[in-house]
Amino acid sequence: MRSPFMSERASAYLFLAPGFILYLLMALVPALATLAFSLTEVDRFTWGISFAGADNLLFVLSDRRFWTAFGNTFTFIAMAVAGNVGLGLLLAVLIDRQMPRAVLYFLRLAFFLPVLVATALVSLVWQLLYSTDLGILNYYLNELHLPSVSWLTNSRVAMVSIVILDVWKHVGFFMIIQLAALQGIPRSLVEAGELDGAGFWQIFRYIKLPYILPVVLFCVTYATITGLQVFDSIRILTQGGPGDATISLVMYMYEEAFGAQDIGVGSAAAFILLAAIAVTTLVQWRIGRRMVAQ
Amino acid sequence: MTAATLDRPATSARLLSALQVVHWRNLPLMAGLCIAAILMLMPFLWMVGASLRPAGEAYRLPPSIIPREWTLAAYREALGSGIPFVQMYWNSLVVAALSTLGVLITASMAAFAFARLEFRGSTPLFLTMLGGLMVPPALTLIPLYFGFARLGLLDSLSALILPAMASSFGVYMMRQFMLSQPRELEEAALMDGASYWTIFWRISLPQLGPALAALGIITFTTSWNNYISPFVLIKSWDKMTLPAGIVALQGLMGAASVSVVMAAATMAILPLLLVFLVAQRFIIEGMTMSGLKQ
Repeated sequence: MRSPFMSERASAYLFLAPGFILYLLMALVPALATLAFSLTEVDRFTWGISFAGADNLLFVLSDRRFWTAFGNTFTFIAMAVAGNVGLGLLLAVLIDRQMPRAVLYFLRLAFFLPVLVATALVSLVWQLLYSTDLGILNYYLNELHLPSVSWLTNSRVAMVSIVILDVWKHVGFFMIIQLAALQGIPRSLVEAGELDGAGFWQIFRYIKLPYILPVVLFCVTYATITGLQVFDSIRILTQGGPGDATISLVMYMYEEAFGAQDIGVGSAAAFILLAAIAVTTLVQWRIGRRMVAQ
Repeated sequence: MTAATLDRPATSARLLSALQVVHWRNLPLMAGLCIAAILMLMPFLWMVGASLRPAGEAYRLPPSIIPREWTLAAYREALGSGIPFVQMYWNSLVVAALSTLGVLITASMAAFAFARLEFRGSTPLFLTMLGGLMVPPALTLIPLYFGFARLGLLDSLSALILPAMASSFGVYMMRQFMLSQPRELEEAALMDGASYWTIFWRISLPQLGPALAALGIITFTTSWNNYISPFVLIKSWDKMTLPAGIVALQGLMGAASVSVVMAAATMAILPLLLVFLVAQRFIIEGMTMSGLKQ
């Protein structure tokens, strides 16, 4: 018999099969099942399924706790995006100059190491740093004659503490991407500006920033989409507390589906998450297209 | 990046150019960046310091990075039989290695079909897989939980490996790389009567070394750091993986175990750190490439 790998079409399907079947079973079907679950009422013990229409969605949308989670997540995103992308850009601009290789190596190591390690593990470390009575941060605040801060137990401060951890963890990623964009600017553009007598700030504002704006926009979108899914750090640092002050969308979804054991409601929340991601992507695409058109 | 990296002149010339690239007016800025970098590293230094302190000293203030008394007691306890740490380490290794191997094989095969072969349904199938780029992992978690429960795979390593093997991003990335490779060699082999499998295995794949390494690093790190999947899908200690397992250990052992938990976290981070020190530049490129997936 001829080997099927001699025919182009047969080979194509054979090459495609393992990856595509995995994708189908582990990603596509589960995603569609989430949609189906969100429209049904599932009895977890008998697996009796009844159609519930928009009931689950309406329940979520009328649940005050959902709106708390929604608001928290967007507060987190606003602060985390500004911190990560803004600080990342600042660092990229500062590092984008001639430096000895050893210094550059050290800087990249220090800023990128947090990106590499598990959020869950560094959250454990930060939990100790944030401890009110025995934490290092408060120790140094007291040394400076400042009062202790209830980093994780004060509902006004807790989200800020989570954002600080998030920016520490991810700023290196946004620094590296924006640094690569800055280094991709043609030298002739910058030199032309220098010949015209433009200062550092003017060169940045009128030459470099417009050039890298698409990358900055990408960073904002990426940080927003990952921010929508924030879970690990909050779960470990505050468990959503104090009260519900730091509960996030994914946490709400998790607690409805596995805590309250209401699969339909959890799935409806998961779909709102997908919708938020889709809208973010769409907005980025529209803005990106307008930028290219200009 | 700098002139010094371009060629390899004699030592004296290299030293001279190394001195030249130090723009002296950048010195204060470099010092500032280095101080910021040391601050970035502080949580890690504190983590390692705490792991080397005797249990009673873990909370001593002022916090000294370098412990007054060195002891490996915490490491002995973490590696001892009383705690399932070694088992979790092994599980993490198995899950990450098999996920990575699975992604590399299935993604490069599927990418070969999309990039090189003509077959009916190529475009719709590719677009279907691209859709997976927008699906957040949290969205599929609820159906995966119940699906695995019905198959009896809940609380098994397969429940962590199988979903991680389905990688839309991997297929997309490998396809992009293959499209940028010249195809003359493959066409010549086809004329000589080689099967498509031979062409894939002997010609395409060996050219994709850097892409495979980058995808491998991304997949391995993502699996090694995954918290939410084992948190939801794994119940028993002997199936647990590191981040979720160490967090659970900390909850179980309470505040007295700080040095043991920090020792476990240090050991969990160690392999990533070692590889990072050797292949820093390569890993940063690979990880930032994963940012392209949105």
